[in-house]
Amino acid sequence: MGVIDLDRLEVRLGARTVLDGLTGELQGNAIGLLGPNGAGKSTLINTLLGFHPPSKGSARVFGLDAHRDRARIRGAIGYMPENDSFIGNMTGVRFVRYMAELAGLPSGAALERAHEALFYVGLGEVRYRKVNSYSLGMKQLIKLAQALAHGPRLLILDEPTNGLDPIARLRMIELIKEIRKEGSVRLLISSHLLRDIDETCDEVLILKNGRIAALCNIEAERRSNRSFMELETVGATEKFSVSIRGLGCECACFPGGRIKLVIPDHIEVRDLYVIASEQGVQIRRMNQRRDSLEDIFLRAMDSPMDREAGRSAHVSL
Amino acid sequence: MSVYKNNYRAYTGPVTPLWMRIYVLARYGFAEAWSSKITVALFTLSLLPFIIFLIIIYLANNPIAQLLVFKNSSRSLTVDAGFFLGTLQTQSWIALVLTAWVAPRLISFDLADNALPILLSHPISRVGYVFGKFMAMFTSLSAVTWVPCLLLFVYQCYSSAQPWAMANLSIAVGLFVGAVIWIAFLSILGLALSSWVKWRVVATGIIFAAVFVPAGVGGIVSAVLRTQWGLLLNFPVSMSVLWQRLLGAPEFMRSASSLPTPAIVTVLVLASLLCVAMLNARIRAR
Repeated sequence: MGVIDLDRLEVRLGARTVLDGLTGELQGNAIGLLGPNGAGKSTLINTLLGFHPPSKGSARVFGLDAHRDRARIRGAIGYMPENDSFIGNMTGVRFVRYMAELAGLPSGAALERAHEALFYVGLGEVRYRKVNSYSLGMKQLIKLAQALAHGPRLLILDEPTNGLDPIARLRMIELIKEIRKEGSVRLLISSHLLRDIDETCDEVLILKNGRIAALCNIEAERRSNRSFMELETVGATEKFSVSIRGLGCECACFPGGRIKLVIPDHIEVRDLYVIASEQGVQIRRMNQRRDSLEDIFLRAMDSPMDREAGRSAHVSL
Repeated sequence: MSVYKNNYRAYTGPVTPLWMRIYVLARYGFAEAWSSKITVALFTLSLLPFIIFLIIIYLANNPIAQLLVFKNSSRSLTVDAGFFLGTLQTQSWIALVLTAWVAPRLISFDLADNALPILLSHPISRVGYVFGKFMAMFTSLSAVTWVPCLLLFVYQCYSSAQPWAMANLSIAVGLFVGAVIWIAFLSILGLALSSWVKWRVVATGIIFAAVFVPAGVGGIVSAVLRTQWGLLLNFPVSMSVLWQRLLGAPEFMRSASSLPTPAIVTVLVLASLLCVAMLNARIRAR
């Protein structure tokens, strides 16, 4: 059983089909939800929270039906919405306590957890100030604090770094990493910033026009491409490539002395220089790169949508 | 765990039952309503008529004090269904003023900062949310309507020289039922109208308008068509007719006396359903 199971999920809002037959099992500790504007990210989150009933198919969170068992699911979820969402005339600590009590914590425990959550996100010093006096970054943090206060099993963060300056963004990313590392909370992070997802998630679901464009494990993709290298050489390129194949590298030669190779774990870059030196080959340029999330995303965006509707396309690199 | 330890930890303690979440909403709503000095001032004002009615009951049941106050006047004070109808009408006007002030505080703050997505992402339904706010409103209005009215009834029972309570128990029932109908209607009306207006001052004005504008329209309809049916839109009058019948008090307005009770109840139910529809359209996470 995954954290989130989607089975031919279709959601219609009015006459428009926003989510169109999504099928897939999300089981990462931190799942990234990517897609251009209007792809259906927020609608998927709202469906998981039970705000929108599926018109066809189903969505399950921890094995519970997202619509039928929405009260139980909501008890296990912490939700940080994308837009401003708070009660401005309450103090920070009162607001977080209120939300924790609504999630089911007894009054005393809710107050204790509210203080802890506010200190945890870095709002300890301003917890007695009214929320509407907070800066934009503080408002993002208090949304995170209220989502964490009741100790959810799944934390849904909708654009958590929206509107944050670089320092506040880094702080938010560090917090998300810490929460992920702690291990008791699964994360579902919706963002249009690839870098945020790249830094925090181990699995990514890419939506395009309400369909799944890609569903892949970022870590696995990275592992399989960890030593992808491009060389520009001058000299006996063919002979050089044969030699490095002998080391166990996968290698392809191109005109102009360009070589692309995948280096196994036991080979180091230094070994390439040694062979080049022995054979009198000059390495003019060396570009070592990993296949980034951006590559995965762009490939998913370019892929034809006429692949079997809604079937999750596992990206191979 | 002390607050200086800034590590995240999962919550493993007990969780309250689902129905308690409505109580949480009601408790926070109640606290929000009464955190305003104006609410406290209005409540204090609502005690003034109560004190006056208390003095009247005292005088009515104390011939010596009555003689001292009225000297040689032939006026006599009687405490009966008509007297309690007056108390209920007075307290109900105060309830309307309190509704106009409190109801926007309960809803507008949530709407102004778009708190509904966060509130409704917790294990509470839209119905539960409205019911919680309704409870906060109903409790606040109870403090100025049926509670003081029944206290006056109890005081009259205590003060009366004759056995009064058992013979007039229907007055107590009428006071309670009549007040509950009115404050339930005011609560749902106040919440529905407040949910459509972000600015509290405007919401306050609209709540008053929702009571007085239909009354004016009803008056015009009655005058033009020479009928009494227009009075059905006049909530203060139609409610007074209902209270008069519940308490068994004498007629107070000849033109309204022919309004049938089922028609009054139907108008109240229809207005309440309209309010529910307004809340249904507005209280959403998105």
